[in-house]
Amino acid sequence: MASHVIHAEKVCRIYSSAAGLTPALRGVSLDVERGEFLAIMGPSGSGKSTLMSILGCLDRPTSGLYLLEGIDVSKLTDDELAHVRSTRLGFVFQSFNLLPRATVLRNVMLPLVYSRGSTADRELRAWQALAEVGLPESLYTHRSNELSGGQMQRVAIARALVNDPALILADEPTGNLDSATGELVMRTFRRMQERGKTVVLITHDSSVAGWADRVVHIRDGRLLSDEQERAYVASLAQREREALVGTQEVTSA
Amino acid sequence: MRIRDLFYETFSAIQANRGRSLLTILGIVIGIAAVISMTALIDGVKASLVGELGLSQSRTVMIDCWPGREVTMDDIDALEAGMSDDYEFITVASYNSGTISNGVTEEQGTLLGVEPDYFEAMGTKAIAGRLIMQSEEGAGSRVILLDQTIANRMWGSEDAAVGQSVHIGNDDYTVVGVVGGSGMMSGQSFVPLSTMQKRMSGNSGVSQIIGFAREGTDMDGIAARTESHLRSYFNLPEEDPSSPDGSSYYIGVTTMASVIEQLDSTMGAFQALMTCVAGVSLVVGGIGIMNMMLTNVTERIREIGLRKALGARRADITWQFLLESITLCLVGGAFGIILGYAGANVLAQFASLSSEIGGMSVTPVISPTAVGLASGICVGIGVLFGFYPAWRAARLDPVESLRYQ
Repeated sequence: MASHVIHAEKVCRIYSSAAGLTPALRGVSLDVERGEFLAIMGPSGSGKSTLMSILGCLDRPTSGLYLLEGIDVSKLTDDELAHVRSTRLGFVFQSFNLLPRATVLRNVMLPLVYSRGSTADRELRAWQALAEVGLPESLYTHRSNELSGGQMQRVAIARALVNDPALILADEPTGNLDSATGELVMRTFRRMQERGKTVVLITHDSSVAGWADRVVHIRDGRLLSDEQERAYVASLAQREREALVGTQEVTSA
Repeated sequence: MRIRDLFYETFSAIQANRGRSLLTILGIVIGIAAVISMTALIDGVKASLVGELGLSQSRTVMIDCWPGREVTMDDIDALEAGMSDDYEFITVASYNSGTISNGVTEEQGTLLGVEPDYFEAMGTKAIAGRLIMQSEEGAGSRVILLDQTIANRMWGSEDAAVGQSVHIGNDDYTVVGVVGGSGMMSGQSFVPLSTMQKRMSGNSGVSQIIGFAREGTDMDGIAARTESHLRSYFNLPEEDPSSPDGSSYYIGVTTMASVIEQLDSTMGAFQALMTCVAGVSLVVGGIGIMNMMLTNVTERIREIGLRKALGARRADITWQFLLESITLCLVGGAFGIILGYAGANVLAQFASLSSEIGGMSVTPVISPTAVGLASGICVGIGVLFGFYPAWRAARLDPVESLRYQ
């Protein structure tokens, strides 16, 4: 399955705490093709952040198989995982997570600092990445905390692009932006995907998910297709109606 | 992560926290300043004492010898011949005192009759004119090497005294040079030994025996060998009588090296005490650094999470924070070294002003060893107290760190 960027089979993640075992993912299976733009939707507490951590190699599944570009990442050590993150993955976060005092260029170069590549072309690659997200050149030497939210998120996308990763993972990238800037950022993702990047977007906002080619839903740690989600929502509505009818019967009696 | 990137991160982090960093390193600054100023002052005192006593001659051996009778030049020749492996030469001085006059002023002074070797063994230097020469010793010339104080009182300056003539007893002597010296060495004028034995009345026997060891001789060994040689030469028992009187005898051999050693051990005790005080300050400073680094780690948890997400390994994070604490300590050390030498100079000024011991002046000595040691201590403190915060930072879970508010 070499063409699959992501191949996940029955991935479970169970957190153990003083309160006992909490299953966050209960057997998630997912395949993502190269060049696909996938949105994972779900309400808070559905396990989407856990899924994002596992897809991003920040965490290991408790059980199940996860292959990133054919590599079984659950068997890697922490340092090997760090290497995978620095060479194959790009992250975009809701709160941007830029180094506030560093310049825009330095922020974009940060992944290259850890990927042990040559230092000579770092700046050039950062320039190229920033040009791809369409940030004006006059801002490159500004400190990142001098930028607007939309500009910051585009710097973050440039940072995610700079290592030419196999997969870009975006966790609620528009959550801290107004809808106009949010649209600008989504258009940037769309453009990345048109240039052959694989993008996985995690959101709870259906208008954001609408930018993706395919949407999967996550509920209580399980993935649902669009149809299953519709059925689920319908059954929820049905139960609500029944509950409502029930109360009416009680009052009429 | 490359070294250059590591330094970049370190300096930008420290610069961002300039005020806090400066306050935190105060403990280190004070500790290092204490170590440095103490070492500089002690070395300065040592140097000035050594210079004062003429102890810079580490190959000099003072032989104190009273075998119950007058020591003669024959005894000295025999000793020199018997120990030619150990000594380059053995020289003597004969003490006398007298009135030195230039016709206007009269001064009481100690006169030493010496062979020119004596100056080499004692490290005596002329501050004006020259020393006594071998030919003058051979001829029994009437020349004198005058004490600085007397020269100044008679002619106002050392240079003016050279070439003048003074009257001692019934003879006129030409001043060929002037010697300085404070403390023990002050008030001594020198004439050739042969001149003294020929022309001056009173005790002209051997008053002082000085040996000059060959290069590379073990100085403790030479003292022991000289003593046993003298005891067998004069047929004396191993031990001196416990209370020497006029008719009894004693042998004592002291090397300058052992005098310096004694001085060192006295200073060493003082140094150890000061080191304890400085050590306490450094430990307190180190705890301050650790405290600040822990705060740093907590403040930057999200940054650490981000760095890990972008591919930083544990070692990268550990090094980043460790280097930060080492750099802080080294900056503190640099300030401490500067402050320490400045403080030592101020203290030395006070010491010179208040001291009545022959106008002894202390110049603090800047030693590369002390600077190196101080820098080493700083790196050590940085590693010791920076390791725990750095280790904690490296161990943070990336997922939790990124979510940390």
